[in-house]
Amino acid sequence: MKILGIETSCDETALAIVETKGKDFIVKKDLVYSQIPIHQKFGGVVPEVAARAHVEKMPELLKRLGTKTGAGIDAIAVVNGPGLVTSLRVGVELGKTLSELWNKPLIAINHIEAHILANWLNPKNQIKFPALALVVSGGHTELILMKKAGNYKKIGQTLDDAAGEAFDKVAKIFNIGYPGGPAIAKWAEKGKADAIDFPRPLINKPNFDFSFSGLKTAVLYEVKRNKAKAKDKKYIADVCASFQEAAVDALVAKTLKAAKKHNVKTIMLAGGVSANKWLRTELKLGAKKFLPDVGIVLPDIKYTGDNAAMVAIAGIHHAKKKNFIKWEKIDVDPNLSLG
Amino acid sequence: MHAFAKDIAKNLKPGDILGLIGELGAGKTTFVKGLAKALGIKSRVVSPTFVIFKPYDVSNKKFEHFVHVDAYRVEGEELQDVGIEDYFEDGSVLAIEWADKIKKILPNGRTKWIRFSLGKNENERIVEF
Repeated sequence: MKILGIETSCDETALAIVETKGKDFIVKKDLVYSQIPIHQKFGGVVPEVAARAHVEKMPELLKRLGTKTGAGIDAIAVVNGPGLVTSLRVGVELGKTLSELWNKPLIAINHIEAHILANWLNPKNQIKFPALALVVSGGHTELILMKKAGNYKKIGQTLDDAAGEAFDKVAKIFNIGYPGGPAIAKWAEKGKADAIDFPRPLINKPNFDFSFSGLKTAVLYEVKRNKAKAKDKKYIADVCASFQEAAVDALVAKTLKAAKKHNVKTIMLAGGVSANKWLRTELKLGAKKFLPDVGIVLPDIKYTGDNAAMVAIAGIHHAKKKNFIKWEKIDVDPNLSLG
Repeated sequence: MHAFAKDIAKNLKPGDILGLIGELGAGKTTFVKGLAKALGIKSRVVSPTFVIFKPYDVSNKKFEHFVHVDAYRVEGEELQDVGIEDYFEDGSVLAIEWADKIKKILPNGRTKWIRFSLGKNENERIVEF
């Protein structure tokens, strides 16, 4: 089975083709606009979220896809939510058009589900159910329980800022670059994680929710109190390291707690922040210590951010169950929820 | 903050635009959560920094949509391409965080500005209407 995936839910414009080969998935094409050197802008540019930008990028990607007729493609999978409504529409309209033009069935994909299924892109990943996914990115921070394949239940989420957003905003305080995650992780390498004791939000509450706005504010107050050190590289590194540790601590603690409560066999990471080395390491260490029988599955770094390969693989999963939608009926849902 | 938000919510009219300005952590999103609660919106209100704006259905009879906008990561005219202007004309009420960044595209004279600032103590916030 060969599926075309389309992703335009926020800033990335992406197309991909994934093919099944026995039990494995082969990524035949994986195109994400940010990889294409059409424009090169310097220094932490605000991403172009305008639908117009997606429309401008799409023809180039389509050309690189290498097919004008969709020959060999069994179905088209497109993200219809959650995300920014006008960005989503570009992808959905493309999906509808290709579905009609190529006469191929269309599948509506939930962006969060696609992130979780990115874990299946690496054939070495062994996921056993029940499984728990921590979906953590600039726009989302949620814990999703999967009792079995295709079965999702949201058991926790952020009450305010997403973890990735907190990384971006803390990075902005020092103007160390965008996206904030990689910038903070880099600075953190040279700092001490125990230099400053930032709060671990909600860590003692008996639920599986998260909160990062208080941590963001704590960093802000810390920097305000120490204005004189604001340009001191050692200080910046310490703040980054301490903030990163606080954020990761909170994420890992709640995830392990939820995993224990629901007796899961596998914990997965998903979303842009799952590329963070500290998070990946701490989750593995924490699981080894507290839940040694639980497997930890991490997505390949290249599939942690928004991309269409994960959408295509989600498409394969739904195509097998014949979850098709008529192109006349598909619509965007910026508030689409998983579970 | 919630009490203040409740007061504001009571007096909202169709087409009102609240321009929320203030630095990170000053309480803009917290204020909007209070507004949403007072308007009877049941969905969780989280930071829309990444999605730019989130529309909510409102069950009161005065206006149909409450739109939570966050201009933190957009530059001026970009917001126009995102479909926000439709909401300026359909009687929706908008609460726009970092509204000062998009002053140029806001309809003339309709925006009510609220400034949030961090207080001396960590739990203190100053709000100017």
